[in-house]
Amino acid sequence: MEHSSLAGRIFRGVALTLILIFFMFPIVWIFLMSFQTNEQILRIPPRILFEPTFANYEALISGQLRTAAGNLQISFMRNLFNSVVLSSAAVLLALLLGVPAAYAFARFKFRLGESIAFTLLSFRFAPPLLVLLPLSLYYQELGLNDTYFGIVWVYQLIALPLILWIVRGYFEDISPDIEHAYRLAGHSWREAFTRIAVPLAGPGIAAAGLLSFIFCWNNFVFALILASADKQPVTVGALAFVTASGIQYGQIAAAIVLSVTPTLLLALYAQRYLVEGLSLGAVKG
Amino acid sequence: MSMVQLLQTNAQAAPAKPRPRVRLLPYLLSLPALLVCVAILVPFVTAAVYSLQRYRLNLPYLRGFIGAGNYIDFLSDPAFWNTFRISITYTAVTVVLELLLGLGIALLLRRPTRFHNAVSIMLLLPLMTAPAIAALMWKLMTNPSFGILSYLVGLFGVTDFKWASDPSSALFTVVLVDVWVYTPFIMILLLAGLRSLPRQPFEAAALDGVPASFVFFRITLPMLAPYIITASLFRLLDSIQQFDIIYAMTQGGPGDRLMVFQVQAYLEFFQYTNVGRSAALLMILWLITNILSNIFIKNWLRLRARAHGHA
Amino acid sequence: MARLEINAVSKAFGAARPADGLSLAVEPGEIVAVFGPSGSGKTVLLRMIAGMFEPDDGDILVGGRSVVGAPPERRGIGMAFQNFALFPHMTARDNIASGLRASGSEVASRVAAISKLLKIEHVLGHAPRELSNGQKQRTALARALIGNPDVLLLDDPLRNVDAKLRYEMRLELPNLLRRGTAAVLYVTQDYREAMAIADRLAVLIDGRFAQVATPADIYAQPASVAIARLFGDPTINLAEVSPVAEHGMLSAMVAGARMRLGAADGAASPGSCWLGVRPEDLAVSSASGDGAIPARILAITPMHEKAVLLLRLADGTEWLAALPPDAPQGAADDSVFVRFASDAAMLFDRATGLRIGPTHRLKAA
Repeated sequence: MEHSSLAGRIFRGVALTLILIFFMFPIVWIFLMSFQTNEQILRIPPRILFEPTFANYEALISGQLRTAAGNLQISFMRNLFNSVVLSSAAVLLALLLGVPAAYAFARFKFRLGESIAFTLLSFRFAPPLLVLLPLSLYYQELGLNDTYFGIVWVYQLIALPLILWIVRGYFEDISPDIEHAYRLAGHSWREAFTRIAVPLAGPGIAAAGLLSFIFCWNNFVFALILASADKQPVTVGALAFVTASGIQYGQIAAAIVLSVTPTLLLALYAQRYLVEGLSLGAVKG
Repeated sequence: MSMVQLLQTNAQAAPAKPRPRVRLLPYLLSLPALLVCVAILVPFVTAAVYSLQRYRLNLPYLRGFIGAGNYIDFLSDPAFWNTFRISITYTAVTVVLELLLGLGIALLLRRPTRFHNAVSIMLLLPLMTAPAIAALMWKLMTNPSFGILSYLVGLFGVTDFKWASDPSSALFTVVLVDVWVYTPFIMILLLAGLRSLPRQPFEAAALDGVPASFVFFRITLPMLAPYIITASLFRLLDSIQQFDIIYAMTQGGPGDRLMVFQVQAYLEFFQYTNVGRSAALLMILWLITNILSNIFIKNWLRLRARAHGHA
Repeated sequence: MARLEINAVSKAFGAARPADGLSLAVEPGEIVAVFGPSGSGKTVLLRMIAGMFEPDDGDILVGGRSVVGAPPERRGIGMAFQNFALFPHMTARDNIASGLRASGSEVASRVAAISKLLKIEHVLGHAPRELSNGQKQRTALARALIGNPDVLLLDDPLRNVDAKLRYEMRLELPNLLRRGTAAVLYVTQDYREAMAIADRLAVLIDGRFAQVATPADIYAQPASVAIARLFGDPTINLAEVSPVAEHGMLSAMVAGARMRLGAADGAASPGSCWLGVRPEDLAVSSASGDGAIPARILAITPMHEKAVLLLRLADGTEWLAALPPDAPQGAADDSVFVRFASDAAMLFDRATGLRIGPTHRLKAA
């Protein structure tokens, strides 16, 4: 690493500036666009300075969209609500299912456990449609199509491997002696699990939960196939909204901002654990 | 090491020693996860069966077992080979670009200064944006009438650049979005890897006045190799299955220009209602990803063992 | 009041057999130290008693009742771990109190009593990471003791504390442990610790008890050459000899000198043997004579309470002698003569390593 040479420093400065522009510009630009009227957006050349308007957000929140063709009912807030419900429920279920299983896999090395852990891991990398398409046919027969439960259930495909493997790593890092000590002090297995293992793996459980929430929120294809309009999350809803609203670019931008803000804020909050989550626990940040 | 066995209700009762050890607990704890596993494996097997059938939703009476018929049809089907070629090209181009760019950024941000950390956190934001939404963002920016990017390339004399709606630039455009979203993934993994490398080899090389290029190719790269391999395989596996960005941007078009595996399979299923063909296409994709993911998991386990201090 | 009894307990992990038919009884109020080299199976034995895993064969009884198969919390066992195993998210007070199932005021008074005894009252509000190793170790001991368990297991509890504290605890622990009526099993790798603390020693080698006896007996009458080498610092001196019996006395050539090895038990000569002589039983002088082994001093290490001499005997064997610091020692390179009393000689069978007498060496304790 050349720390000192002037040319090196200039090069690094220029490179970092370009990188920041490339990666930050789209977010900044869409954010600005969401506060512009359609006329302002369509103006050429584009301007950085403009008089901001909240009309786009008001339209989205009220669900009334004025277009050239007349008033349009939009349910984007419904999509937002669905995203919150689906992602939260999926993460809660995954924690409920995954934390005890992660504990079992960490503490008891048994063949079935390893098989489950690796099956879930390998299907994390299988084409999602391979499971989703037959599942959508099963769902139609079972009446699970277009239900919150049906979608929450398939979200386990995203959340469970993540929680299982990250939390398992945290449990493995706790010395079993600490739990032995608690049990010898007269406590049952269940007490050792809830009062020792879970609190000590707490940061890992929280991180895995937050990340699963982000990944569920960002998922697109599952709901595209299994949900109709009133159960769709923002990812699918935003696409439908683009088709429906046509040229209301300001509102599209506002919808995008509303869709990504929760995950971006969560990501900033949980950034310490992102590396670990993104690598499914293989790399620590 | 195995340790506890529970659920014996009668510790005092039977005097017979060594009692059979009841080890139900681990199984009980993993039962829910097992159910999820089954919920994955059943549709997976179903898909495998479908792929061996003539099965069209609109012509249910024609349904029947045709062996490898769907697969054999692919061999002479230019649409399949188009899909195959586009998927491989998309994967290769995105992974190579993201790896080079991600490695470069990681090297730039290597020293853990406050500024570098702030930059690396900012760069995570694209990665945390839903890919489908990211595609919409870029769609807005590349709109031919008002998109800022169309305007900017216009400044350089490139007028009438149609981005994703032109067959000649569609691949470039979706690759650009993919690079925007996923380069930070490679960057953050390699950055964590770089910062975890032992310092002695670098200090020794600095003391001996070893040239920077030698240090990079002979010390940094080999030591970083496990991270590079894991991150690239991770991306390779996701990229060859890319759906969200392409579907949200062009639904596989213009024409069949961006018809990658999963988009093609989606359309076979929902547009042409040809379940058998769709399933066969996905099975081929699964075969490819399965080979890759086996290699990946091996590397991943090694890294994981290192992270948990029992390498 | 409960006796701990281990009956023919075996455990295998794959090809390794860390417990191979172990039997031992510990009376209430008795301290038995399990001593052995690392990897000999000490920790596995403790963990089977504690219920962390079960024996493949054999039985473990506490107060006459088998505990095999019972969950750890119902065995009436307290344990202190080598790595302390404190609960990192609880204060020292809560760590200690975790062993009690009692109401608030009783918990407080019992925690106060035990922490006074262990001199950790001033750190009760601290989290484990704020404690020194010594305080951690005392907290862990308090936690193990507070429930008045029938059986107390101590897994090398002084391993991770500094030398000064280890010395203090060696003096303090026996009193502390004898306050109750628990049967105490104390695992250690340090023979001095074992001898200082225990009423009896159980020497564990390769998953078997090689000898169970009082510390003095084991030092004076080790059952085998392997045990003899485990006890004593510097370690016992060995030489290959072929003793002969004459007029009821055994003698053997050691580096060219005929040494007397005590009374012969029978008429027959014992064959090829290891001769063992403890360094403190050697006398070194410049005077030659009968029964004196010619040697040369290679090095002298003064060690305050004694001086250790590295000697090369006439045949090249290297021996150590531990002499009182005020004894005349000579200097490096000096030629000297080494003597030992016939009752200081131990003989071990070359093939089996077992001691074959003489048996008279038992000193009055």
